[in-house]
Amino acid sequence: MTKLLEVTNITAGYGDGPAIIDGAHLTVEPGKVHCIIGPNGAGKSTLLKAICGMLSIRKGDVVFKGERLNGLRPDQILRKGICFVPQERALFAKMTVRENLRMGGFILDDKKELERRIEGILERFPILRERADQHAGTMSGGQQQTLAMARTLIIKPDIVMLDEPSLGLAPKVVQEMFDIMKMMSAEGVTVLLVEQNALMGLKNADWGVVLDLGRTLFEGPAATVLADPRIQELYLGGKKAA
Amino acid sequence: MAEILQILILGLALGGVIALMGSGLSLVFGVMRIVNLAHPALIIGGAYITYLAFKAFDIDPIAMLPVAAVTMAAVGVVLYRLLFQREARSAKYSEMTVLLTFALAMMVEGLLGSLFTNTQRVTSPDYATAAFFIGDVFIPKGQLYAGLVSLAIIAALSLFLKYSRLGYAIRATTQNREAAELLGVNVQFISVLAFAIGIGLAGAAGSLVSFVFSFFPAKHWEWIAMLMSVVVLGGMGSILGTVVGALILSVVAAFVGTWIGATWSTLTFFLALFIILLVRPQGLFGEKPEMA
Amino acid sequence: MTVTLQDSSASAVIEARRTYNEKLSRKTDQTRATWFPLALLALLAALPLLQFVGNYNYVLHLVLFTASYVAMASSWNILGGFAGYVSLGHAVFFGVGGYFSGMLLARYGISTLITAPLAGLVAAAIGYGVGLVTLKVRGPSFIISSIALLMIARILFDNWHFIGGANGLTLPTNDLTVQWAKLPYYYAMLAIAAFTVWSAYKIKHSKFGLGLRALSKDEIKAESAGIDTRFYKVVAFALSAFFVGMAGAVWGEYLTYLRPNIFLLILVSANMVLMCILGGKGTIAGPVIGAILIVALNELFVATMGASEINILGTGLVMAIGLMFFPLGLVGTLARSGKLPRILNWD
Ligand SMILES: Nc1ncnc2c1ncn2[C@@H]1O[C@H](COP(=O)(O)OP(=O)(O)OP(=O)(O)O)[C@@H](O)[C@H]1O
Ligand SMILES: [Mg+2]
Repeated sequence: MTKLLEVTNITAGYGDGPAIIDGAHLTVEPGKVHCIIGPNGAGKSTLLKAICGMLSIRKGDVVFKGERLNGLRPDQILRKGICFVPQERALFAKMTVRENLRMGGFILDDKKELERRIEGILERFPILRERADQHAGTMSGGQQQTLAMARTLIIKPDIVMLDEPSLGLAPKVVQEMFDIMKMMSAEGVTVLLVEQNALMGLKNADWGVVLDLGRTLFEGPAATVLADPRIQELYLGGKKAA
Repeated sequence: MAEILQILILGLALGGVIALMGSGLSLVFGVMRIVNLAHPALIIGGAYITYLAFKAFDIDPIAMLPVAAVTMAAVGVVLYRLLFQREARSAKYSEMTVLLTFALAMMVEGLLGSLFTNTQRVTSPDYATAAFFIGDVFIPKGQLYAGLVSLAIIAALSLFLKYSRLGYAIRATTQNREAAELLGVNVQFISVLAFAIGIGLAGAAGSLVSFVFSFFPAKHWEWIAMLMSVVVLGGMGSILGTVVGALILSVVAAFVGTWIGATWSTLTFFLALFIILLVRPQGLFGEKPEMA
Repeated sequence: MTVTLQDSSASAVIEARRTYNEKLSRKTDQTRATWFPLALLALLAALPLLQFVGNYNYVLHLVLFTASYVAMASSWNILGGFAGYVSLGHAVFFGVGGYFSGMLLARYGISTLITAPLAGLVAAAIGYGVGLVTLKVRGPSFIISSIALLMIARILFDNWHFIGGANGLTLPTNDLTVQWAKLPYYYAMLAIAAFTVWSAYKIKHSKFGLGLRALSKDEIKAESAGIDTRFYKVVAFALSAFFVGMAGAVWGEYLTYLRPNIFLLILVSANMVLMCILGGKGTIAGPVIGAILIVALNELFVATMGASEINILGTGLVMAIGLMFFPLGLVGTLARSGKLPRILNWD
């Protein structure tokens, strides 16, 4: 098993506030879908922010393709190939869909190539083509999430981290988001997903991670996580196993 | 009719200068969410640089403008590193930084006061007292030049923001800092850059102010509410809006000044601020800033 | 590869959750020392006895000056500290109080010591009116509106001939000898300061004060918890103008003249803010300690460097340092680390 990204025992927090993440670890294998679950406030979002460089890592290591990422800025980490879609989706509300896609390729220097890739994206996501000139802020939640996810593909990243892509979406739309995620995965993009709906997340993942109180409680194949009675009791809302 | 035209021209010329004075404030707010109360004090800093060069070496204030701009931009970088960098991620950021810039304004005022005393100063190049006449209407050369130079600088700034890669990054950061950061914009660098440009604009404005208004270190308190009303009216963070706000308010103030009394023309700006507060309950900066 | 969840790790997490919840609910149990401010007050009340043995007018002046700022900073604290609305325009109420009572003195010869409460009420009424408009916005917007308020007041006072315009007015002096001339104002200001601190304490511990603190943390939540935030804020603004107005009234007669550039000064506002920040915003002892510190520092700046420009520079510098390194202030910082000496815990 080769590892693409390895997070070992990291500690991180906001500003000089308390450590929110303390003792979290994680292994990411290429091409697979990884799902982090845990209760509200467990530190899932914080962990992703620490990995992508938005928060400084106080202890521990983040190693990507054998290279330490600690201390790099978000833009530097992005250039290495790790892309992050936060809970808030990070769209430019007052830019059009096309402009948002263009911003998605900010780090690309070749303008022609960028336009070609944007065309490619619009080709694959007809809903975005339909609304290419609409302001992102005026689209529905599902369309915004689609745009946010599609936008990551422009730079052809190795890893895409998605923070609760299903947040605030209707069940049917949630399924669409998971379909997009699977499509990304099928193209060889490694996915690191944070999901509030643990059951749904784990069913769509290969690898499961349970995070609570800022530390990794458990990490293993998604099926194992799903089957574990204790996790069912604590985090999946199931009571059947005692 | 001639009187109205006269007032309009004076108001517009002054409005141009006020637009330049406010543009840096707007830019800094847009990118960093810092309401820089020290901005007018730094404009006065630029005015003193120009004044000294004029007195000591007889250098023309407009020729001195690039020097004042670059000097103040450098001051801006230092201030950013000293005061604002470490606050950038603190929770009560926006309120903290306002008070911090308030403290900075006092420091700048105190420093300038100790160095140059609180005497009124003004640079007096030839054109400051000369005027063109078109029929009955006279156009003071000083104000005209200052207004035109201001608008030229703002136009250059707008082009830079619209067409350069850095300008693109600045606009993206203005709209959504987190998103820009996640898409590969080095927002820390962009922040320093925008702050430097903003304070550089204050320096440039200072050069023009030096022969348009008389100034002394404590004068900046009068300007802060004036600039705030201008910038807020135009939409904080929007350079174009600042220009429009400045021209409108300055023209209104010119009419008030002529028809009601000079004292009340300053009051126009403050009252405008309160009216904006009344009609925009979401606050002066409640809205996401528009793009330039 | 199969991994099962270890018993120990699950119970470890459950245990950690429990201690975490406990930590949240634990109340800091600190005994306060109300005797200390009372003793301090008694001491200061006895201080004029020194006049029997020599000329201590300067000492009395310093205490009076400090007391005026204790009143103003504690008053500012009601809005700025409890409710979280930072005003840089409170000098306006100082001026309103000073001019209102000063005019009564100049016209009808009624001492400001009698009309001071009335001056406070006028200041409070103006505060109430202004608050209705400006308290709709918070954060930077509110701060700027407060500066604009001060600028407007300055222009109005400078141009209002009835009250003397920019040159101001001279007020009649009392007919006590130099040795005792300060005493009425000394006791009046001391009483106002004590009354303000006591009121701030009462307000903080009332249901009203609780509401203010709730809305300072999260206005929307406070609103949904049934607090009429708008009313609370506006009343807080009025209250915090009231005591400043009283202090201004007495200060005017003490100075024997009124002038816009003495009362309507941004530095006066800045001092109130600075004292609360240095001492500890939202605490009772904070503004008092801040006032003592700043007055001492001012004396030092003026005595050693002798220029008001240096004073402004110094005030700005101290403020910046305080904000950057001790945003909670002396009392707040000590309290957070559990090192607050009992004599400074008045809350
Ligand atoms: N910007 C911030 N500044 C300070 N503390 C924060 C910040 N964001 C989150 N926290 C704190 O970090 C802790 C973990 O938050 P985080 O957002 O990582 O949780 P989460 O697991 O993503 O929860 P959710 O499922 O609700 O999204 C919380 O206690 C929260 O209060
Ligand atoms: Mg989250």
